[in-house]
Amino acid sequence: MIVLVTILLPIAAGGLLYLLPREDRERSRLAGTLVAAATFLMLIAGRDQEWSFRWLSRPFTAAFHFGATPISFWIALLLALCTASAIAATRVNRTRDFTALMLMLEGTMLGLFLARDLLVFALFWDLMLLPVFFALIGWGEHVATAWRYFIYNFAGGLTLLLATAAFGVIYGSTDVIGRGGAHLVGSWAPWIYAGFAFAFLVKTPIWPLHTWMPPTYTALPPPMAAVVGAVQSKAGLYGFLAIAVALMPVYVTQYASPLIVLGAISLIDGGVVALVQNDAKRVVAYSSLSHLGLIVIAIVSTNQLALAGALVYIIAHGLFTAALFILLGYVEEREGTRSLIRLGGVAWANPRLAGALCIAALAALGLPGLAGFVGELFIVIGVYQAGYVWPVIVALIAIVLAAAYMLRLYQDIMNGPQVEDVPVRRDLTWREGLAVAPLLAALVLLGVQPSAILASVSSVTSGAHAAASMEAQR
Amino acid sequence: MPVPIVNYVALGSFMFFIGVIGVLVRRNPLIILMSIELMFNAANLLFIAFARVWLQNAGHIFAFLVITVAAAEAAIGLAIVVTTFRSEKNVDVDEVRSLRG
Amino acid sequence: MTYPLLLALWLAPLASAVICWAFGPQLRTRSGWLASGFVALSFALAVASWPAGTQSAGGALGAHQRLFSWGPGFDFGLLLDPLSLLWTYIITGVGFLIVFYSIGYMDGDRAFARFFAYMSFFVFAMLTLVLSDNFVGLLVGWGLVGLASYFLIGFWFDRPSAVAAARKAFVINVVGDVGVMFAIALIVANVHSIGFSDTFAGAATFSSGLLFAICLALFIGAAAKSAQVPLHTWLPDAMEGPTPVSALIHAATMVTAGVYLVARCAPLWSRNPEAQLLVGTIGGLTALLGAILGTAQWDIKRILAYSTMSQIGYMIMGVGVGAYEGGVAHFFTHAFFKAQLFLTSGLIIHALSDEQDIRRMGGLWKRMPFAFWAMLTGVLSICGFPGFSGFFSKDEVIYGALQHGHPWLYAVGILTAGITAYYMFRLLFITFLGEYRGEAGTPHGHAPAWIMNAPVAILVVPSVAIGAALMIGGDSSPWARFFAPLFAPQALLAPSPAATPPLSEGLTSVIVLICVAVGFAVAWYRYATPVAQADAVERLRSETAHMPPVLTNLFYVDAAIDLIFVQSAQFLGTISGRVVDPAVLDGAVREAAFSAGWLGAVVRSFQTGLVRAYALLLVAGAAGFIVYYALAGTAH
Repeated sequence: MIVLVTILLPIAAGGLLYLLPREDRERSRLAGTLVAAATFLMLIAGRDQEWSFRWLSRPFTAAFHFGATPISFWIALLLALCTASAIAATRVNRTRDFTALMLMLEGTMLGLFLARDLLVFALFWDLMLLPVFFALIGWGEHVATAWRYFIYNFAGGLTLLLATAAFGVIYGSTDVIGRGGAHLVGSWAPWIYAGFAFAFLVKTPIWPLHTWMPPTYTALPPPMAAVVGAVQSKAGLYGFLAIAVALMPVYVTQYASPLIVLGAISLIDGGVVALVQNDAKRVVAYSSLSHLGLIVIAIVSTNQLALAGALVYIIAHGLFTAALFILLGYVEEREGTRSLIRLGGVAWANPRLAGALCIAALAALGLPGLAGFVGELFIVIGVYQAGYVWPVIVALIAIVLAAAYMLRLYQDIMNGPQVEDVPVRRDLTWREGLAVAPLLAALVLLGVQPSAILASVSSVTSGAHAAASMEAQR
Repeated sequence: MPVPIVNYVALGSFMFFIGVIGVLVRRNPLIILMSIELMFNAANLLFIAFARVWLQNAGHIFAFLVITVAAAEAAIGLAIVVTTFRSEKNVDVDEVRSLRG
Repeated sequence: MTYPLLLALWLAPLASAVICWAFGPQLRTRSGWLASGFVALSFALAVASWPAGTQSAGGALGAHQRLFSWGPGFDFGLLLDPLSLLWTYIITGVGFLIVFYSIGYMDGDRAFARFFAYMSFFVFAMLTLVLSDNFVGLLVGWGLVGLASYFLIGFWFDRPSAVAAARKAFVINVVGDVGVMFAIALIVANVHSIGFSDTFAGAATFSSGLLFAICLALFIGAAAKSAQVPLHTWLPDAMEGPTPVSALIHAATMVTAGVYLVARCAPLWSRNPEAQLLVGTIGGLTALLGAILGTAQWDIKRILAYSTMSQIGYMIMGVGVGAYEGGVAHFFTHAFFKAQLFLTSGLIIHALSDEQDIRRMGGLWKRMPFAFWAMLTGVLSICGFPGFSGFFSKDEVIYGALQHGHPWLYAVGILTAGITAYYMFRLLFITFLGEYRGEAGTPHGHAPAWIMNAPVAILVVPSVAIGAALMIGGDSSPWARFFAPLFAPQALLAPSPAATPPLSEGLTSVIVLICVAVGFAVAWYRYATPVAQADAVERLRSETAHMPPVLTNLFYVDAAIDLIFVQSAQFLGTISGRVVDPAVLDGAVREAAFSAGWLGAVVRSFQTGLVRAYALLLVAGAAGFIVYYALAGTAH
């Protein structure tokens, strides 16, 4: 029951927020942060609980079945943490309406990650597009960006729905996420896998399906860009882990090569494009393309260590991407621009902001001792162990590129002589600092001791591996 | 001595083609509606005739159905003509082209 | 055995860093004393750990402290054995002197406390590197020292040149990091553990190809960190940082991490002669190249930077060919005399208010006699003047190359020794002899002079005498006995070298001395004779003008790296971001959308709004059906 409440609470709170006066910035922000923090605690409290209600019995069984799996537990925690941080950091017009959208986004995404039924998963997949779509229309610059975001991801949702329906008809039930021993084989299975994979690749995104992503991240207000870039992009990767690898491991292995090639192209393409972007948010957007390509490679290699690394990197990437977007939002509020050419010397007046951005950028470039490094290390080890040598080399090159573009981002903003034409500069306020502090603390913590997350992958994929090895013996 | 079926078919076809040509060449919506009625009735005539020939009642039932639908259609058609005349002050079907894509 | 004291030794500098960083505005100048105190505490604990570090209980050498585990095979711990003990002494001991010196050097800087936070953090990171008992811990330290180096090179971050140098240093160091990361992947895939002991135990079963791959990947890391060709270009630029930083990070400790890595992985290298040859050759090449470039510089710190690069080349050559004790010995003595040289140059730079060009110095021995004598002892030591520390360690490396069957590297080592003498005495003569050629400013800062002079004076002692104290007596010297438990087993692994080298060690010393004398004589003739002194300004100007372009362009290595890697990556990024994404990928999607619109436009043209046209279409369609079925019927 607590699981259901966890999902419904933010959605309901989002609706109730409209009872507040329209311009009540402080109270709506506080309420939003508290609700998100409450979901964080409720997730921990309801870690082992499930809730189920029969939905369909024909042509296949489906149920409104919710509950955290060991993998989704961490991603849901990440979501609650990022949402709380992002709402606390919010500083936009019409704060009340924006906070309501943020809460609804959190609720729909919690529904997605906690869903144990493919059909419910597909339902929330489309629902979670709506808050972002409305935010793009209400706060973005071009309506076209909103439509581009929506159509791309809805097209993915369509193939997801088709694949889900086919899965249900063939397997007889869609109530299969997180259930060990459920495997799909047969002549239709590759097509079903393709349907899932397309949806996941659009959402992640991966080259060449990524062109909706940079404008979306650039147009969204920083707090929502933080949640979308940090967590919504993980919906596809979570799908790969919890659906593709768990239910169709044979086909993931069989069709790994094209995805590894796409992942490798994303790695390099995202890196080199991030190197020459002048819009700070676009640098982060393209860096995401690069990092997520690495995770896709790790997942389709289906090596135990690589999967563990992928989960750590999913969490780490969420943390530092959210922190980067929030901090870049702070920079933009102060300096009135995101252009790396015009920015400079911000560290003189904002040492705390500089320190925070530095930690986030260092985590993004995989500095040893921070969480990103753990993910990269395990992925590199695991992918090599799985027998893919050249993707490892590509990944290592991409890590060097990451160092180059992340340092460029940090230095062009913070270092150099102070730009004179900005009237007032103030360092981080307590509220702003507290909003990002949990994200940065989690990055350090996971960088030193990630074993809790590393261990949670094995429980889910062990069944999949048994099936894969059985298939190999046949 | 019964009239041969060929005569009915010939008359029905003749009426139907008069209706078709009426729809195609006339520009007054009232005349067009009347031409459509003519086509309906041609069809009705054939229904009845063939029902007699094959000794089956289905033709009669269809004829009644067609008459009902024709009545409804005429009512809607006339209503459209009247509202069009109110808004456009014109009912010439070549002049009223507001449904152009 | 567990040894909790190691934790205190390791974490004390971190505590200092956190305190200086968090309470910098409150501490102000006290932060320097605080940081010195914490580093000194670390040093004291290291001294106290001597018995623990050198003991050998139950077959395991040194003291071990478990930390935590990430999962099976990923166990972390600290290890204090003779090798890490030696590095710990240098890091905390020399580190303490340099941090103390910085109290004077950085006096009056607007970010005084931040400097000491970074310095303490560096000491912590470097301790992490050398104390880890596994490759991942080593890599963490490896990355963190790179970060500390980045912060300190770019410490004065309003200078664009410092910012660019910091970025360059960091990115090249990341190249090294990923090399080590790849080595870890190779190791874990084969021994399922990250620990040193498991790896070295498993090394016996590795194929020679795998061993070479691991050594190569590790050496990419070592080369990047230790400024070996072709990854050396960041080191001269790193001199943008404050001088104490250059002394501590870019001379004494961090840049020798590559030497540590190769010495630590001696069981891997000793099993693979190809890897030894590669590393030895790169080391020799770097030694020669650094020395040659050192002759063509005018910035006092850049001369010392190239000399550092050259001397690390010696060390890498030593540990590469298998003369581990020699390479490590050169690290040990070099840490003292190079720190001393840098700190002395810091005295000069400080006194001349940040003047670094030696063409605008001259005649300083009258104004700064202390600096002159300190510099002179340092120069004699680095040149290998008999009796000074550098003499023992350098000869050990050069002779080691011959002993292990690399006569070419032996020759390169001797040649480099001569060039070293030339450029070091060139530096000394131009800076201190003749007449003063610049405009003196007043030094900034008001700290008493002894704060900066004392550490230099203390460093003079080991840089003169420690070699004689420890390294006389060949295999029975204290030095050899200290390292015997660590490196003696490796000698058995290596293929046996030529039975007796054709030249004895004594003869080698004589040959080296002759080369050094020639180098000294050339420098004396060009810069120190009364004739040369008379028109020094004109001579230096003419030398500047006639410098061969290949030297002023640093053998075009920077330009080549810039062209091949930086420019091509930027070009790819521009193509992909400006052309492929918007035109090709997005263009394809947009074309799909447009073609849907075009289809709509075509269909729309049927929708004329003419009721009679619709009727005609209807009739035509009906007629079409009738004709079709009529024909189909006749076909039956």
